[in-house]
Amino acid sequence: MLMCRDLARIASDYIDGELGPMDTVSVKLHLLMCGHCRTFIGSLRTSLELMRGHSSHQLDEDFARRIDEQISQALIARDDEQD
Amino acid sequence: MEAANYQTDEEQLIEGLKAANEADFQMAVRLYTPGMMAVARFYLDHGAAEDMVQDCWLAVVNAIHSFEGRSGLKTWLHRIVANRAKNYLRKHQREVSTDFSESLDPDLARRFAPNGRWATPPSLRSNESAEALMENGALSDCLDKHLSHLPEAQRSALMLYEAHQHKSDDVCNILDVSASNLRVLLHRARQKIFLMVETFQETGEC
Ligand SMILES: [Zn+2]
Repeated sequence: MLMCRDLARIASDYIDGELGPMDTVSVKLHLLMCGHCRTFIGSLRTSLELMRGHSSHQLDEDFARRIDEQISQALIARDDEQD
Repeated sequence: MEAANYQTDEEQLIEGLKAANEADFQMAVRLYTPGMMAVARFYLDHGAAEDMVQDCWLAVVNAIHSFEGRSGLKTWLHRIVANRAKNYLRKHQREVSTDFSESLDPDLARRFAPNGRWATPPSLRSNESAEALMENGALSDCLDKHLSHLPEAQRSALMLYEAHQHKSDDVCNILDVSASNLRVLLHRARQKIFLMVETFQETGEC
């Protein structure tokens, strides 16, 4: 019997479809009977979506400008070599 | 500039980079540096990672003409960073050590009774969608804070897989971890985010 703790261990694999067919069936059966685990899986999914929408593009603008500056110099140096 | 607009035409951007167009480089820096930092931070501390990423951009200036586009620009850039970081560690004889043995977060493990059932079940929330939650600036700040406190390996895995949408194979390759270890890293990181969101929704505090 799959217990709640076992399910919590493999919840990500279930969400990503990385579980084998037997385990997937065990998880689905457990979810039919257990509201707490349904809440858990649902909340874990929401957390993931939150991650996907968040912070993929956060960047320290000072750091970005330092890189711009260096690239600008490197481009000039590269052009000089080519001339 | 909106991040979403960046992604509309990668080919055009690559042409711009090859033509040494400075504005295109600036756009690429803003689009790809966060992911490159996520890769570098898996291997290096923050200061060393910034230096490494900066060096990589300089290398890109001279190598972009040889980019053939088979892998996609993002993957190509991430591989450059990963290879350099691995070389750096090899030279300095350092290894990345990470615990892959337990897939359950200790703070979550504590919430189960000895019989394996929930002792402190997840709190039932209002059906707020991720989109609605994202509108909440305080939650967004809280997420930033917790992300910055995640162990580097977990954060890098999470960022590359979720935020930068790399496939598992790519993440394994870039971070030099096995598929099963990547699963552990992802799951550990996700549990932390879950716990954070739960606390935030319950108490309104981070
Ligand atoms: Zn359960």
